[in-house]
Amino acid sequence: MNQQNLSISNFNRFIKQLLLPYAAACILLGLLINYQFENRIVLGSQISGSYKVNRIINELHSSEIAFFGSSRAEGTFIPDSLVKEGFNYGMSGIQDDVVLFFLDEECRKSSKSTPIVINFDLDGLNYSLGDVSSYIYNSNYKPVRQLMDSSYKTIYNFPLLKYYGVFELYFKFYLTDKFNLTKFVSKGASIEKNELTANKFEALVKERLASTNFFNNDPLLSAKLITIIKSNTNRKFIFVIPPYHNSFFKGFVNANEASIFLNSLKKLNNVVVLDFSKAHFVDIDFLNTSHLNLRGAIKFNRILNDSLKNYCQ
Amino acid sequence: MLFNSFEFLFFFIIVTSLFFAIPHRFRWILLLLASCFFYMFFKPVYILILAFTIAIDYTAGLLIEGQKTAKLKRIYLLGSLVANIGVLVIFKYYNFLNDNLTEIASLIGFKNNLPYLDILLPIGLSFHTFQAMSYTFEVYHGRQIAEKHFGIYALYVMFYPQLVAGPIERPQNIIPQLHKRQYFSFDNTVIGLNLIALGLFKKIVVADRLAVYINQVYKDIENANTISTMLAVCFFSIQIYCDFSGYSDIARGTAKVMGYDLMINFNKPYLSQSIAEFWTRWHISLSSWFRDYVYIPLGGNRVEKWKWIRNLSLVFLLSGLWHGARWTFIIWGMLHAFYLIVEIITKNIRINLPSLGTFSRPINQTAVFLAISFAWIFFRAETFIKAKLVIAKLLSMDFSLNISQISAEKGPFNLLLSFFCIILWFFIKLPKYKESLSRNLIFLIGITFLIITLGKGESAEFIYFQF
Repeated sequence: MNQQNLSISNFNRFIKQLLLPYAAACILLGLLINYQFENRIVLGSQISGSYKVNRIINELHSSEIAFFGSSRAEGTFIPDSLVKEGFNYGMSGIQDDVVLFFLDEECRKSSKSTPIVINFDLDGLNYSLGDVSSYIYNSNYKPVRQLMDSSYKTIYNFPLLKYYGVFELYFKFYLTDKFNLTKFVSKGASIEKNELTANKFEALVKERLASTNFFNNDPLLSAKLITIIKSNTNRKFIFVIPPYHNSFFKGFVNANEASIFLNSLKKLNNVVVLDFSKAHFVDIDFLNTSHLNLRGAIKFNRILNDSLKNYCQ
Repeated sequence: MLFNSFEFLFFFIIVTSLFFAIPHRFRWILLLLASCFFYMFFKPVYILILAFTIAIDYTAGLLIEGQKTAKLKRIYLLGSLVANIGVLVIFKYYNFLNDNLTEIASLIGFKNNLPYLDILLPIGLSFHTFQAMSYTFEVYHGRQIAEKHFGIYALYVMFYPQLVAGPIERPQNIIPQLHKRQYFSFDNTVIGLNLIALGLFKKIVVADRLAVYINQVYKDIENANTISTMLAVCFFSIQIYCDFSGYSDIARGTAKVMGYDLMINFNKPYLSQSIAEFWTRWHISLSSWFRDYVYIPLGGNRVEKWKWIRNLSLVFLLSGLWHGARWTFIIWGMLHAFYLIVEIITKNIRINLPSLGTFSRPINQTAVFLAISFAWIFFRAETFIKAKLVIAKLLSMDFSLNISQISAEKGPFNLLLSFFCIILWFFIKLPKYKESLSRNLIFLIGITFLIITLGKGESAEFIYFQF
């Protein structure tokens, strides 16, 4: 056999004995791992963003009171201590574009009439998608894809491959949820157990005092929020501002603008604003100058429970 | 273009398929164009530097070979060296020299008015310049005939698998292979794909994972303790090995699929029992370059002891400088020279020491690993001050079991994953082709899934690209 023919037979052998078995094995194994991974890990932890996104899109819990917001919501609201049936949809790293997505999805559930609790941050309504891994599982759902915007990648269409580079994040959530080593977890809430040493907290306070904080509302987001509220008069929207450390207010330059916006919300019939931003909490109640730790969260939930009683029964 | 990117995956499939689809006489054109594209993916304009050195060395090769007298040959060799080293000096060392000149001038009350060049270092400059220089050296010594085919010569310098981070090849190994007609071979393809898979695993799973921890500790060294610093220092030894040998594996694998054999660049260096042995196993293509073109011409070890020490010091000074225009690289090089000198001086004493039996091997290996890891501190630290801080942390004897300090910013899960990846790396061995096809297939599938599930998503650059 001459070299040319040998080369062709070698190529055929490569296709038959290596490439095809490799491709077949990768596809089968990939689909199998993907199925198991999605069902056991991606959706296996109630505190993961992917679970929360999937829950708001695909599950209907008629009497559930939903808590929305950023990490301040996730690390503050303990549904079991506040309401009979509730779930904390707060996600760390996100901002109000995602909160509005959650609100939108919640309001689509026309059979529901439960109040909605929204954490309000004093930096105003802004954009931040947070971790993209929260959306990959549902990335083919149009509103999620729109929300992801430029973060959307074609690879999200391929089973297993779509999680390339983010597998560990899901496992991290899963392990945190199952073993509760560093966090207290319950119905979507995920609250840091660790208390900072006085020195470390002092350093954070110094850092905060040296910085400037703004209330900065994106007009598109605030218009969208108002539209959602106005078009869902059967639902009560309860805006809660959990406590900030007093150092936060030292560099807060336009607090009056925040008050103006909150007052405009209060004027809407189906809106309640519960402002605890300046409630008296001591240093050891805080994880940092804008987030409570578990000790602070338990204390706050007792206070909030009294206020929510009037609206969530 | 990064080997650890989807772009490269498509590039590799297209170039390799076309390579076997077109007649042999056109393949050099395909490979040359592919290499240009590969290089220009980083910064297109720097292809001109490559074109300049290729033209100079191609002409120098022909001129050296054509001369009857040694004097004229030497003149043309010098001309080629000046051009190559000149390019290195301008693009890599000028600003470093300028900074140092400014320091010295200010010490003696003068002002340095030389301008600062605002230029980016062309990727892999030291690699392809040294490869080009090895050609003129070999032609000068009569060990290689000057290449008449300009395209083949250009391909020798630019062959994309080893263009930006080696191995630094010798013309005797590559040029004849570029002339030879290559046929598709099942064996070569399996061996090549295995090498690529292993290289990607080393880079994406091990090196990039360890980088997360190392970067955090080095970035926030003030808050590290002795345990976290020790971990970061030892991790860096593994990171740099997996990063660089991973690149070499991918380069060798990519070339092997097309039928080309590149030299082995790493041979289990951390199993060395002495620093001298380490340098026969680590970055073999560079250490042999310095051995052949600097150390031996200076007399090597066949000279008086002090000259031997001088030769070693000079080689390692140059080796440090080769890596980068920074004092930390020079200290790293000199530290290795110091280790070797200590080995030479204490050789007779060590021979007379009582043997430790079966323990001597692991003890030597551990000692060598720790010495090398210590030297890597200067390689990794951006500044001498940072290196000093790292060493101070190591010596502070703060062994407090503070989880947040030990696990650094990304937490215990990342640290556990780092250990898991090291264990995987330890156990994963390249299958011997002759073992069985199914074993090779399982290896490829297994590595694919390990990369997908454990790989760091972002395509991080290879450390040695900067050199």
